[in-house]
Amino acid sequence: MKSGNYWMRRIFTSLLVIVIVLSLNFFLFRLMPGDPTSTLLDPRFSPEAKEELLKSYGLDKPLFQQFLLYVKQMLSFKFGLSFLSQKPVWQELAERLPNTLALLLPSLFLSAVLGTFLGVMAAKGRGKFSEKIVLMSGAVSFSFPSFFVQLVLLLLFAHVLPLFPLRGSASIPPPVGFWNLLGDKVWHMALPVLSLVLIGFGSWALYVRNLMVKTLGEDFVLLARAKGLREGQILWGHAFRTALPPIITIFFLSLPGVISGAVITETVFSLHGVGKFLLEAVSGHDYPAAGAAFYLLALITVICNLLADAAYALVDPRISFRKVRR
Amino acid sequence: MRDSKALYNSKVFALVAFTALLFAFAPHIGAAAPFDEYDLPTIEDLYCVIIKDNDAQLLALEGGKVDMLGDIARISDIRRLSDNEKIDLYLAEGFHAFFLGLNLRKPPWDRVELRRSIWEVLDRKQIVRDVFGGYALPLFSFLPPASPYQAESPVGESNLEKARERLEKSGWRWSKKGVLIYPGQTKPIPRMKLMTPTAQVAPTTAEIAERICESMRGLGIPIETEPMDFSMMVSRLDRRDFDAYVIAWGLSRDPDSLYAFYHSSMDIEGGYNISGIKLPDLDEALEALKYAKDENEARAAAREAQKLLYEYVPQVPIYSRYYVTALRNDWENAVTSKYTTPDNVYSFLSLKHREDRKNFYWSLPEEPRNLNPMSAGSAYDWQVLSLIYESLLGTDPFTLEDIPWLAKSWRIETTDDGRERTRLFFVVREDIKWHDGKPFTAEDVKATIAFMRRHSIPRYYDNVKDIEDIKIQGDLVVITFSQRSFWYLHQIGGLPILPAHVLCNTEDWRSLSPDKLIGTGPFQFASYKPGEYVKLLKNNNYWRRAVR
Repeated sequence: MKSGNYWMRRIFTSLLVIVIVLSLNFFLFRLMPGDPTSTLLDPRFSPEAKEELLKSYGLDKPLFQQFLLYVKQMLSFKFGLSFLSQKPVWQELAERLPNTLALLLPSLFLSAVLGTFLGVMAAKGRGKFSEKIVLMSGAVSFSFPSFFVQLVLLLLFAHVLPLFPLRGSASIPPPVGFWNLLGDKVWHMALPVLSLVLIGFGSWALYVRNLMVKTLGEDFVLLARAKGLREGQILWGHAFRTALPPIITIFFLSLPGVISGAVITETVFSLHGVGKFLLEAVSGHDYPAAGAAFYLLALITVICNLLADAAYALVDPRISFRKVRR
Repeated sequence: MRDSKALYNSKVFALVAFTALLFAFAPHIGAAAPFDEYDLPTIEDLYCVIIKDNDAQLLALEGGKVDMLGDIARISDIRRLSDNEKIDLYLAEGFHAFFLGLNLRKPPWDRVELRRSIWEVLDRKQIVRDVFGGYALPLFSFLPPASPYQAESPVGESNLEKARERLEKSGWRWSKKGVLIYPGQTKPIPRMKLMTPTAQVAPTTAEIAERICESMRGLGIPIETEPMDFSMMVSRLDRRDFDAYVIAWGLSRDPDSLYAFYHSSMDIEGGYNISGIKLPDLDEALEALKYAKDENEARAAAREAQKLLYEYVPQVPIYSRYYVTALRNDWENAVTSKYTTPDNVYSFLSLKHREDRKNFYWSLPEEPRNLNPMSAGSAYDWQVLSLIYESLLGTDPFTLEDIPWLAKSWRIETTDDGRERTRLFFVVREDIKWHDGKPFTAEDVKATIAFMRRHSIPRYYDNVKDIEDIKIQGDLVVITFSQRSFWYLHQIGGLPILPAHVLCNTEDWRSLSPDKLIGTGPFQFASYKPGEYVKLLKNNNYWRRAVR
């Protein structure tokens, strides 16, 4: 089979996934108990007024008509107005995405790099004190609840020692000038990013250490040592490269999570991110907002899966998408 | 007997000691600036700072990053702030009411003597002491404590013996296992569930639900809590698929909740008569209340309706939460009363910094996602909008009575040309300007109401749906309704008034852009940085200056 065929098949299955997600997004939210007026608990709001509200959301139309409109909106990337804010869903997402990306991209990258490095070092020094330190710090990082770590950091470094700000992603009022604004942003994001790195690196370290311990026990590593290769070359050039594909898969599959946000971190540090938006959209039956956000997440997940496939071939020459003729 | 007396004495002692302790840490109630001295605000820039986490809010207040923090609910926070000498705490009776709801459509809750026994057996005072450390009021009425329409309620100590006696007299018996047997039947009543939000979402509600179940079991009612997602719970209530539930309501000054909760016509989809009470005499009393001609009739009807409710007990009031606000004490002249903490518009007209600082930072616990007065629903949206927009009538913070605001006078009249109708007359002030400098006139009042009616705007649908006609003559606005009701005065008097020149250029009421946020209030909209803050600037043309 040619590699072109492989990619055609992958793209076709990805589109199928998108169609399924698109349909589920519509029907599952409507199957949830209640409707957008359910959480409106106000005795001053009469049943007639609630009907008017549903009408203003377009929910008085037949379900099939609503579905067609929804599909049209999703495919044209015009997601309509959020029920809760009455603002275009795009505008809501655009307001939030920069903070979410500024929080989660650096933390994912730093956690992955730090965790991977420590994992490799722990595997290298198996049985030594350094491995014990990595294993212990990894387990501690992995097991502490995020809100606890974040509140402690906030208390220590924003209140007791006021080195960092208590809240938000910008000072009030914001400073003037591009560089001042950039510096202000970095200053505000430092503590939330640090907290996520502290919480996140442990799982990477433990995972990579286990992978590397297994890989370093393989015959080809023994052969490399027998050939007299340097330890660094064996570790990074041979063993790590062999262990890399599953690490890359996990990295790429973590990327959609970067878009879906981190509700607790956003709440503790008062960051205006996508996580809280998604939570409110689902719990408030905000169909346009929830539908759009989950549709975009599905798209990004599918794209990241394709990217992970492509990266496999790049990092591991043994992997080819051509069918081997026997 | 001796033991129970000793126990009683020790309880009394504990209560006295507790009350003394509570007063030692008690927030202020009632200190206020003279009401008629409100002038231009001294605050030039007002920042509503968005801080979502409870602990971060506290740290920001203690560190001087915000000046005021409202709606403090955790007892530990109240105690911590009480110890801070730079912060004053204020406490007010609010319009919060927490009820135990029962499904009267099916046994055993269809029996009034059982409902009355539940009323008697629940120890609300103990709940308030244990769960809220005293920072809540035991509730024995169907209206919140601050409501001026609240009738005298039968307050009493919890009494299990009396409750059992009442049931026995009505033919109830107990099985060998102590479970109640419905009069005239042989089998004990079946197991029931009390719906509550989960402890993760609402810890105090879940705790109170457990205590209620425990008290009910003490009476012989086999009931357990059923924690669930709040949306699921509301959906079950809508379908009337429940035995019992607990829920908190944010009510208002007016007794409009009585009709919504207990009139038979409201036991429909989307209606709030969740308990399903349907009694002709109660309906009659509630209709008399809803269609009262004037204030006196309204008060008499509210009393009569509540008298019947105390008799029928369709649900059981449990407690009402105090509203607690913290203000840094370098700000003076806050307007506070039994009914309001300093986070009100009157305070913003009178607050003054000791060292003449001109910036004020007010903590907003959530994003004001909808800064559009036509569709804004959350309290956070209105925390901002209430400083920008004003209404025809204000509410006296000390008495909760109507006071002149955009309208300098008003009159309510009932016409009788075959059918009684209410007619409202408002004389609007002539010295008011919009934030963009254009004059405020009666035309703006007419345009606002007409816009709300034309677009059937859901939030104001009930306020304007009965209007038959609006006329203006100079500064006089005359509004005629299709029916008779005193409450039209508050429904119209409380509407936010928007400028006619903005409304005439607004096609879609859902998309009122921030540049169109033009009001008459003491502050004008300056900017909104999502996730960070809303900035308001002092309105230098504010009309209160002319009032002096």
